[in-house]
Amino acid sequence: MKLSKNWGYLFLILLIFILPIFIKSQYYLHILILSVINIILTSSLRAIAVTGQVSIGHAGFKCIGAYTSAIIAMKLGLSPYLSIFIGGLAALGVAGIIAYPITRVKTVYFSMLTMFFGIVVTLVTSEWRSLTGGTTGIMDIPSFRTITVLGMVIDFNSKLPNLYFALILMVIVLFFLYGLDRSYIGMTLKAISQDESLAASIGINVARSKAIIFCIGCFIAGLAGSFYAHYWGILNPDSFGLFHSIYLLIYMIVGGTDRFVGAVIGAFVLTLLPEVSRVFQEYQPLVFVAVLYLVVFLLPKGMVELPHQMKPLIRMFYRGRAEPHAGN
Amino acid sequence: MLETKKLTKNFKGVQAVSNLDLNVNAGEIVGIIGPNGAGKTTVFNLITGYLQPTKGKVIFNGEDITGQKPHVIAKHGVVRTFQLDRIFHNFSVILNVVTASYLYAGIGLSEAALNTSGYRKKNRDTCEHAGKILKFMRLDDKQDEIARNLSHGHQKLLGIAIALAATPKVLLLDEPLGGMNPAEVDRTLEIISEIKKRGTAILLVEHDMQAVMKICDRIVVLNFGTEIARGLPEEVQKNKEVIQAYLGTKKFYT
Repeated sequence: MKLSKNWGYLFLILLIFILPIFIKSQYYLHILILSVINIILTSSLRAIAVTGQVSIGHAGFKCIGAYTSAIIAMKLGLSPYLSIFIGGLAALGVAGIIAYPITRVKTVYFSMLTMFFGIVVTLVTSEWRSLTGGTTGIMDIPSFRTITVLGMVIDFNSKLPNLYFALILMVIVLFFLYGLDRSYIGMTLKAISQDESLAASIGINVARSKAIIFCIGCFIAGLAGSFYAHYWGILNPDSFGLFHSIYLLIYMIVGGTDRFVGAVIGAFVLTLLPEVSRVFQEYQPLVFVAVLYLVVFLLPKGMVELPHQMKPLIRMFYRGRAEPHAGN
Repeated sequence: MLETKKLTKNFKGVQAVSNLDLNVNAGEIVGIIGPNGAGKTTVFNLITGYLQPTKGKVIFNGEDITGQKPHVIAKHGVVRTFQLDRIFHNFSVILNVVTASYLYAGIGLSEAALNTSGYRKKNRDTCEHAGKILKFMRLDDKQDEIARNLSHGHQKLLGIAIALAATPKVLLLDEPLGGMNPAEVDRTLEIISEIKKRGTAILLVEHDMQAVMKICDRIVVLNFGTEIARGLPEEVQKNKEVIQAYLGTKKFYT
């Protein structure tokens, strides 16, 4: 039983890695890369949210990672392969500094503090011109260096290798976060979100647990941001604003917070959605709100609930057809 | 085992608890009674670190644990229950107790994330530990139910099970019988005396006088945060001041 489940995961991973080969459109590859980055970000946001802390400043940590990695790679000439980790560590460091005060407040106060943190980060990046290039941002960020694996030349100036890089990053991150979520520690984190005093009464160090998971989530956000910087080559403060943080939140809620896969599905579907609904491009926020409302009312537990919700509908459909023969 | 020395708490001028000396030994049940607002739950909050005492000390096995954080005090082995049904509502019953076995499990973040063999063994041990506690609390037939769907009495029992899972040396029970029917009260009392027989020291806050008189070895009576009587149950029952505190002075009735 367990073995077959593991094979299932392996098959899924293989499928994810094989499918992109058949995508020829550079544009769609780009969208897929963005959705993979969003999956990483949303999953890390969910990891923090599991303890009952909803962050509205997650894009700020992505921003810190992206700028740090880009600046280090450009000014110090460090290889992007290394600088993305330094970008992640920078986000972790900043998270560590603010974690102590920030995780001591709860609910809406936590959200507010993280929101202002995110705004401050964008302000700093747009004002510190000597380092960040102000609102114009940074251009010509070096991409990952061309490498040769098994005789294959992998040139990161095209999309496909970048997609594979993102996928590898995603699989590692998801593997770690999923393991954490299912583990004993993940359970204590969920316990904290249900009743902090009770969790403390049985010996769980609530403040420390919340701070640690906050730092882990921010490290991953920084890592995702760093990758984004080297993939896209251009950074400006606008791409890390408040709206980005809020969108991540919407991805998470629409996907469903109860289950790990919710954040993944939410981020994937909602990153593709604007592309599917290109006709409504100007009304994008409206489309998002509509989806959010529909999900909140029809699928309060998120999109992960969809197959479960469909069951009665399908059964109704079949029963409807079978009824004439049923006789009563 | 656990004692308090001149424990005092002021809430902006109101003396919630003043100069309280308590002590409880292994295998003993000490009851704290008193009218509503007498400061019983405040005493629990002070002992377990949820409130900082204004003055006085809490000493556990000769060690001063005054004003430490709740999770540190739990680590020492001083564990409390809560008056309301404080349980992890979204977890199944067994998961509640497994989570509550956190101190017993001793699982670290890195080993859990890496899923090491040591972690898996600890995990199995913890589940066994939790299973034993559920059996002891007579909750084993409910173990897969979601906690929020349990009846009030069972939620109360689960509250005690959660505290027991943290392997307490001193157990502080805050109204464990509140809202239970007589049959449930009897069963819970049985369980509490079994916990006592295992050598756990118990501090009990309870309003059900019959039960308190039956089960406690010693009783301390509080009124307006001050101790007004202490002694064996029979002595306390006959104490004039206690009767006054509970029923009021005579002039109200004549």
